[in-house]
Amino acid sequence: MVQIYNDYKDHADFLTVYVREAHPTDEWQMKSNVKDDVCYAQPKTLAQRVAIANDFIKRFNYPIAFGVDDIDNAANDAYSAWPERFYIIDESGRIAYRGGMGPFHYNPDEVRGWLAARYGAVKHDPPPTPTRTSAPPPTEPTPGTD
Amino acid sequence: MSLFWKWAIGVFLVLLLAVFLLLCKMAGSPKDAYGMLRYALPHMHRGTLKVGDDAPDARLLALDGANHFHIRERTGARPLVVIFGSYT
Repeated sequence: MVQIYNDYKDHADFLTVYVREAHPTDEWQMKSNVKDDVCYAQPKTLAQRVAIANDFIKRFNYPIAFGVDDIDNAANDAYSAWPERFYIIDESGRIAYRGGMGPFHYNPDEVRGWLAARYGAVKHDPPPTPTRTSAPPPTEPTPGTD
Repeated sequence: MSLFWKWAIGVFLVLLLAVFLLLCKMAGSPKDAYGMLRYALPHMHRGTLKVGDDAPDARLLALDGANHFHIRERTGARPLVVIFGSYT
């Protein structure tokens, strides 16, 4: 998603809305969370949620504008967003794209497709073939990705 | 119940168990398999918003933990891509 942001930030605005945790330790925690050292209980206060959001941003140096949903989950409920979802709101304030619900229908390529249809595709050179002397490419972080 | 139907139900249950065991292996554990199945249930595909609807507004807190803003304050001049998610 950060790549899409970098490609289209001159044409569209981006906003990340941090919602309630998908896999907290006190609900359905996945083994991948333990492996990746992403272990947080479901926040009970807004301050706790903000602290976790800040941890995420620091860990991945996440560049996209950020807002944290209130602890009553108003944004999440309004957009039926949990655990993860994309929307695009057009200039008239209407829903122009409504993504499927994550994890199985969460598709950044559809967002890229919408932006590409409007502003043109942005092509990237394929990543170099790894050799023994080259470092592995960095993993692109996306909130809510398992 | 006839013998045929007893066998049919038995085979069906064995297949169901085999599928669940395969799902457990793929997901990592029975708890993870159950969680994955829940994601596939109809209530997980909830939401009444449609393309063309007015985008709802909601108040958000900035990362400084002090300042608030609204989603709709960010709309208007250009399309707004909204990414909902969490760290876990």
